[in-house]
Amino acid sequence: MAEFALPKHSKIVKGIDYPINSQAKNTKKINVYRWSPDDDENPRIDSYTIDLDHCGPMVLDALIKIKQEIDSSLTFRRSCREGICGSCSMNIDGTNTLACLKSIDEVKGDINIYPLPHMEVIKDLVPDLSKAYEQLTSVKPWLQSKSDPEKGKSRKQSPKEREKIDGLWECVLCFSCSTSCPSYWWNGDKYLGPAVLLQAYRWIADSRDENTEQRLEELEDSFKLYRCHTIMNCTKTCPKGLNPAKAIGEIKKLQLERR
Amino acid sequence: MQSKSHGVVHWKLQRISAVAMIPLIIWFVSSLVFSLINGYDQSINWLQSPLNATGMVLLFGTLYFHAASGLQVVIEDYVHNEGLKIMSLILIKLLSVLLGVLSILCVLKIYL
Amino acid sequence: MSEYEIVDHEHDVVVVGAGGAGLRATLGMVSGGLKTACITKVFPTRSHTVAAQGGIGAALNNMGENDSWQFHMYDTVKGSDWLGDQDAIEYMCKEAIPSVTELENFGVPFSRTEDGEVYQRPFGGHTLDYGKKMARRACAAADRTGHAILHTLYQQCLKYQAEFFVEYIALDLLMDDNGKCVGVLALCMDDGKIHRFRGHQTVLATGGYGRVYFSCTSAHTCTGDGNAMVLRAGLPLQDMEFVQFHPTGVYGAGVLITEGSRGEGGYLTNSEGERFMERYAPTAKDLASRDVVSRSMTIEINEGRGVGPNKDHIFMHLEHIDPATLQMRLPGISETAKIFCGVDVTKEPIPVLPTVHYNMGGIPTNYHGEVVTRKGNDQDAVVSGLMAIGEAACVSVHGANRLGTNSLLDIVVFGRAAAQRALKTVEKGSAHAPLPKRVTDKILARLDKVRHSNGDVSVGEVRNSMQNAMQKHAAVFRSNTSMKEGVEKVDTISKGMDNIGIKDRSMIFNTDLVEALELENLMQQAIITMKSADQRKESRGAHSHEDYPERDDKNWMKHTIMWLNDKNKTKLDYRDVHLNTLTNEVASIPPAARVY
Repeated sequence: MAEFALPKHSKIVKGIDYPINSQAKNTKKINVYRWSPDDDENPRIDSYTIDLDHCGPMVLDALIKIKQEIDSSLTFRRSCREGICGSCSMNIDGTNTLACLKSIDEVKGDINIYPLPHMEVIKDLVPDLSKAYEQLTSVKPWLQSKSDPEKGKSRKQSPKEREKIDGLWECVLCFSCSTSCPSYWWNGDKYLGPAVLLQAYRWIADSRDENTEQRLEELEDSFKLYRCHTIMNCTKTCPKGLNPAKAIGEIKKLQLERR
Repeated sequence: MQSKSHGVVHWKLQRISAVAMIPLIIWFVSSLVFSLINGYDQSINWLQSPLNATGMVLLFGTLYFHAASGLQVVIEDYVHNEGLKIMSLILIKLLSVLLGVLSILCVLKIYL
Repeated sequence: MSEYEIVDHEHDVVVVGAGGAGLRATLGMVSGGLKTACITKVFPTRSHTVAAQGGIGAALNNMGENDSWQFHMYDTVKGSDWLGDQDAIEYMCKEAIPSVTELENFGVPFSRTEDGEVYQRPFGGHTLDYGKKMARRACAAADRTGHAILHTLYQQCLKYQAEFFVEYIALDLLMDDNGKCVGVLALCMDDGKIHRFRGHQTVLATGGYGRVYFSCTSAHTCTGDGNAMVLRAGLPLQDMEFVQFHPTGVYGAGVLITEGSRGEGGYLTNSEGERFMERYAPTAKDLASRDVVSRSMTIEINEGRGVGPNKDHIFMHLEHIDPATLQMRLPGISETAKIFCGVDVTKEPIPVLPTVHYNMGGIPTNYHGEVVTRKGNDQDAVVSGLMAIGEAACVSVHGANRLGTNSLLDIVVFGRAAAQRALKTVEKGSAHAPLPKRVTDKILARLDKVRHSNGDVSVGEVRNSMQNAMQKHAAVFRSNTSMKEGVEKVDTISKGMDNIGIKDRSMIFNTDLVEALELENLMQQAIITMKSADQRKESRGAHSHEDYPERDDKNWMKHTIMWLNDKNKTKLDYRDVHLNTLTNEVASIPPAARVY
């Protein structure tokens, strides 16, 4: 039956409160999900109050400040801090996004930070994305062509053809979209999810790729593709402003044309 | 059920049945308002018109088909125990066929 | 050291790092049939290559300007301020053409010209006819070229089923008694196990170390781990004084605004609204070499012509460019400007400041990617079993100053070269000699020390003081007094490493531990950078010495190489610059005054 009972370690308890010691005027409370695999404890919410006058403008700046000055054991992924590497995806103020692109000022009141929903947690804000990466590999996300280009020559592609993949190839694989999709929550093992379907469509739409038919054939599956129920959370949450729901819609349209 | 190459067919039929139901439902609701609230005899009379009987047969057919395929999606979404899932899917199919045939037979009985 | 569980792996080649260089090497090796392990501390598409924006340089001549690789080579040599090795530069500029074409064939989504060819835009320092006019040579995928290339290379690696070890942090090189590198020891962050990778070649593609500075365009992960491993293996680093400041980092945030924005027509102004670059570089103007533009901007600010309430930055204008062009050619930086400084580029200028961007220095190699060192009179002694490519390496193709678009080119050309070399030199599937236990034990002892460190200073505090010292004393302009002070400061700060303490004792995804290890790596490079800078008594490329404002080819046309021992004491030597070319297809370019 559907799972109504929550699995172990699902109940979140109140954690440690780190108040601010100084006379700072402009402060903000940041509540962060903490869980360590080393002990058998339930997850907890630690609260850190920070001085915004001595902090960068983004939520990632706040997390780094906490790690640097208050609690160095706080664990999260980060790298480029400019929204292009896709490392720091997490759930902030109820929405999946990149911490480096989310301004602290945008959040009214306390900032609540959780890992990406419905993924296994490795530690604190670090989710296990290995299944999602495997799904990415499963759609063979590389150029497939039957004809080799003339040796030492580029393939030609008109600006019009090239335009078709705009809004597709820019995905940073942060998986904010997939992990915001209820369908992916329930069937993430079989449904590919918006991020991977966007990648699949990126190659279907590329005029240089000659394996469209085979790609569509492999996606024609009631679970891989058709678990998308057009909920549109993916498009709403994408921190890069891409539209995975539209890409999925395009794939469905092409499937109809094939039959 | 999750067999390959049924994805698009199922998706298509679900949408076609949904679209087909739009005029059927409008027709049925307006009939309700104009004819069927006038009592038992009137309703029997109404159903004995060949046009109305055809409409009802189509409505029931589409309705149960659409309901079954919608429920199938819901079960596939939420029921993760393979055995239970297959059983529920068979049950839904059987039930919808049963109810569909029963409903249509009722219409025909009155009509004939 | 029984506390750590060790997992052994045997491969033909071990690549450390999965940025553009690491992936290009891995791809070449795997597709050539070598059993290759690619170890990376972040998932491959998160590597900092992803942030490269403007383009990759190659004289494809798609814009019908009669461009040639000889012009590209001239520009690169001139850009390097004659510190680049001309044989390597020739190799890079010539191989640029097939390498970039290959990238297109792999599926990189380059922007296109009307004829359907790869689109090329102008970039700083790239000219036609030996400096006569600006060239359109930077092959671009909008302003996300690095993203396009990195993702495509990863996709190609998936195609060939390359073996990745993701979120493994490399601890140290495994060096045998003969000074040969036989692999690398790494920590798997996921489960805390130690993995011993054996390879006949170990390829370091670990990137730069921008994070020794407080403000840089580099990612948090750019900590030069490979450079530090090389130092700890008793090998020198080369030309570490040359740190490139990118003219247009966003004021405050430090994130990058591509030079391609000036390539598309953007320009800089001071507080008087003057396009001051016309004074400093009459021909190239805003598209002069990066060191030239950064210096000019700094002079403007120092002379009181900076913009803003504190007169401490410069404006970059794009608002005169057609919004449709901005949307098509520079969508990424339009977004960046909006998010990080609230600027609508179609209406207002972007506040910018020269920001640390690239390390010209690194692990000395030859143009095959093989690591070299100086042994007595042999200046090009190859270190057996070890290669370095990308920003970690100092081939040296960038000399004292790198041209824009040449870093993406560097990673692709030398990633490819390293693979070709490994295919020639490594015997597939050959056995690995046994390794004495003490080699591993020594590395684990270092790990253990950091893991159990319980001093009273946090990693963050020490890192901050180091970054601030470097920011102040190894800046755009340097002087004897400032650098002397810098050397002393860094020396004192580095002693603080003995007092650091970490809080997280777990073995699973312990980023507290990883940051401490990275800080140790950064610190060693900070020492080398500061000391290398202090000893170079001339101005060349990115190294502008106020007490020696001229380039001194007689005494200083040579590469600095510097070793570091385990007491943090340095040893200094030099290597000659290769003024010879690789073939006779081109003549050596003699040193000349550098005017743009």
